[in-house]
Amino acid sequence: MTTSNGADVAQAASALSAAAPEQPRGSWLRLPTLATAWHLALLALVVLLVGLPLTFLVVGSFSTSHLPTDISLSNLGFSNYAEVWSDRETWKLFYNTSIYAFGATAFGLTIAASLAWLVERSNIPGKVWIYAGVPMTLAMPGMLQAMAYVLLLSPRIGLINRGLRLVDIDPINIYSLGGMMFVEGLRLVPTAFLMLVPLLRSMDPALEEAAAMSGANYQSTLRKVTLRLMLPGLLAVGIYQLMSALEVFEVPGILGMPADIFVFSTKIYAIGHTVSETPTYGKANALAMIYVAFAVLTTVAYAKVIARQERYTIVTGKGYRPRLIDLGWWRWPAFALVFLFLLFSIILPFLVFLYVSLLTFIQIPSLATLQKVTLANYWKAAQDPYLATALWNTLFLIVVTATSTVLLSFFISMVIVRSKFWGRWILDQLAFMPHAIPGIVFGLAFLWFFLAMGGVGIDIFGSLWSIAIAFTVSYIAYGTRAMNSAILQIHKDLEQAAYVSGAPPWRTMWRIFFPLLKPTFVGVWIWAMLHVVRSAAIPLILYEGEDNQVLSVLIWNMWDQGEMQEVGAIGVVMILTLMAATLVFRVAGFGSGKNIQAAN
Amino acid sequence: MIKIENLTVSYRGAQGEVQAVRGVDIAIAEGQFYTLLGPSGCGKTTTLRCLAGLEQPSGGTISIAGQVVFSASQGVMVPPHKRDIGMVFQSYAIWPHLDVFENVAFPLREMRGKFNRKELREKVMTALTLVQLEQYADRPAPFLSGGQQQRLALARAIVREPKVLLLDEPLSNLDAKLREETRAEIRDLVKRLNITTVYVTHDQLEALTMSDTIAVMQQGKIVQEGSPSDIYGRPSERFVADFIGSSNFVEGRVTALANGGGVGTVETASGTVRCILPEGAAANDKVILVLRPEDMQVLAADQSEVGNVVKGQVISTQFMGDATECQVALKDTVLKLKLHPTTKLVRGDNVLVGLPVERCRALMA
Repeated sequence: MTTSNGADVAQAASALSAAAPEQPRGSWLRLPTLATAWHLALLALVVLLVGLPLTFLVVGSFSTSHLPTDISLSNLGFSNYAEVWSDRETWKLFYNTSIYAFGATAFGLTIAASLAWLVERSNIPGKVWIYAGVPMTLAMPGMLQAMAYVLLLSPRIGLINRGLRLVDIDPINIYSLGGMMFVEGLRLVPTAFLMLVPLLRSMDPALEEAAAMSGANYQSTLRKVTLRLMLPGLLAVGIYQLMSALEVFEVPGILGMPADIFVFSTKIYAIGHTVSETPTYGKANALAMIYVAFAVLTTVAYAKVIARQERYTIVTGKGYRPRLIDLGWWRWPAFALVFLFLLFSIILPFLVFLYVSLLTFIQIPSLATLQKVTLANYWKAAQDPYLATALWNTLFLIVVTATSTVLLSFFISMVIVRSKFWGRWILDQLAFMPHAIPGIVFGLAFLWFFLAMGGVGIDIFGSLWSIAIAFTVSYIAYGTRAMNSAILQIHKDLEQAAYVSGAPPWRTMWRIFFPLLKPTFVGVWIWAMLHVVRSAAIPLILYEGEDNQVLSVLIWNMWDQGEMQEVGAIGVVMILTLMAATLVFRVAGFGSGKNIQAAN
Repeated sequence: MIKIENLTVSYRGAQGEVQAVRGVDIAIAEGQFYTLLGPSGCGKTTTLRCLAGLEQPSGGTISIAGQVVFSASQGVMVPPHKRDIGMVFQSYAIWPHLDVFENVAFPLREMRGKFNRKELREKVMTALTLVQLEQYADRPAPFLSGGQQQRLALARAIVREPKVLLLDEPLSNLDAKLREETRAEIRDLVKRLNITTVYVTHDQLEALTMSDTIAVMQQGKIVQEGSPSDIYGRPSERFVADFIGSSNFVEGRVTALANGGGVGTVETASGTVRCILPEGAAANDKVILVLRPEDMQVLAADQSEVGNVVKGQVISTQFMGDATECQVALKDTVLKLKLHPTTKLVRGDNVLVGLPVERCRALMA
């Protein structure tokens, strides 16, 4: 389950099934065997990259040996499963994961729905700022956001807690399920907001007006008509957010692990990284299988809801401008709510990073501290040889991952959408499969895969390439969905006109498809870039030392060692850079329509 | 120039095997304007796309300018980019990322290295001038009107000076007035350049006004091929007579066989009529008379019953400006007549409808 956009995915999938099955027009590509040859090669590659790691994940879950490399037929068995299911810890995991995921979703969805309703249906002031500001919170990596809240609300060092203690109030403990729910909930808001706004916008206001004509006042119209009509949409958005909350590793990793509060994603990571005993990877796999089952169920539920929602007739697609509800005096509390959200989700985290990065040790703000402001942390970070390596590694990873995601997705989608290759359905399913697999599980699957590759002489474990491959494979689910719908939009005649104008297929790709798909290429590229920079799960699992240490892993390790000021300095630069990239992503045309949701 | 032999196309659809084209034979001489005419789903576009190479036939042979481009038996399938053709699509397929000039230059650039910059520019501008778009060369293609896009598509199709030009319902997206102008323009252009042209349409007027030869297709087969006047004046089947122009059909039975000019007599419910019989018609064969509305005249009922007439009663008249349409009820059917607008008839008039023998044709029922 890469956090790609589900609505998009389901729509593209349904568009595909409508367009693809029985195209009456045969393609001339049918006859030449060269075409079939590259189709087959592509299928083989995708089977290798998606199918093999997942196979290792499943087989590994039966392995009773401690290390993946020791796996053999003789030590396969059900003992991992027996152990996992009989362990009380597992039930605790279920409990924690459910509370955390549902809590975060409920919290995030409530805020997002309120924000969306306020900007779309009321006369709240400062709408432009809300439309611009709420999506910008996407730029904040989950890891940094969680760290920011540690700096604010850790019982020991948290700045707010220290302030509370001064006035004799009990400190708030961010290292708790509640803390995880709060931070992850905040992080879910922008995506939910971006999914809900078009939903509200496409609702025919005549339905609400009819209620008003029938004598219903604002409140009962909102309750009996608007909310009821939005219920299927809200449900879909809710399940989608649940998927995201389930998948995320960084937030429970920073806020839960130090307090021994584990959810599935962090537990699987922890099993492989115990210092006290030899890790049993097989057990991690067995746990991962349950986690995957959980995730797959949510994905299936989501697809079902989306399919139902499409039959729902409230979405008219006509550009009505609904009557705005006059909030009167309540405009100001409403505006305050929006401001509070922005404050908590981006302003405060950024400010605390900035503050910490400018001091040599963390203390409550005062005139005295402000006089001690220094850029020393930035200098220290800039001279850190590890940071330089990590930056280069990250850059390398961005370029390789984003480029290969774009190209691989493009070729896969070309076959899925445009060819009559018998295997295109399999290709479509395989490419989509990573969507349902949480990042940490994907990392685990690739760990096994690369270790096994090492066994046959292909030694890429511990290299940057291993992370690039794992990232790319987990991103093609989003990449192919975006490409599928983009290629579907290119009229077949445009392609065929090139053939009859004397352009062979590869020239047609170069001169027709590439330029026409450029916006999608750029969009997928930036999307992959943002994800590479932000996610820590896969790089942490595949981390093998300085050689493949990327920025997110470096920050994670520095945080572990308590180098908070330096993390602050790196974080400030990183947040600003990501904000700029997010801005480009949105300005480049991916901020409109349904693609926007993909920016999560 | 173009030779198609026993072309068949079948594909697997949702309802199993679909036969889109079943045994089509076509021979087109150089410089001819050849039209495939028929209702939607008759296989005309599929045939054209086979010629372009965009569709793979299941059987038969296609050759263009003496070169076999498809042969099921020899296993030949020349891909479209290696065929010497130009094509205009129904959607025009103007590439939105290229400007007008580059759209036209595309086919030339794909002949990599054959032309230098100057030659290329000259050729593109010549093509644009031919379709009167020379002043729009630098404009982004999406900013053209529908008619201009259509002409741009035409320029792109002819810029390589292909041996064969394929046109797939190029006028169907234009408004009526523009369509009328463009019909003549296209025909003039291809005739001037002496390009062998295959034109696909469902519009009979386009077919009749533009073509040298029309092939009427129905359910994957050519039912009649001939010059426009042949097709209109001597339809060989009821389908053709019905599809092209409007026709009245009267059932009858042969009573006297053909004499020298092919004229015999047919007995209908409303009287015996002399007409041209189909070849091989025998006495007592059931036939159908085909009567064009504009071929018949109305004689007042009190005029003596001379010539080739049937009795009827006017049931409606409709003034159309350039004609008066009049419906006359016979014993078993209603005839639609197209009369001069000055004709004064009212509902209920008893009339004799005169049928000119040489324009009155019978088809085997």
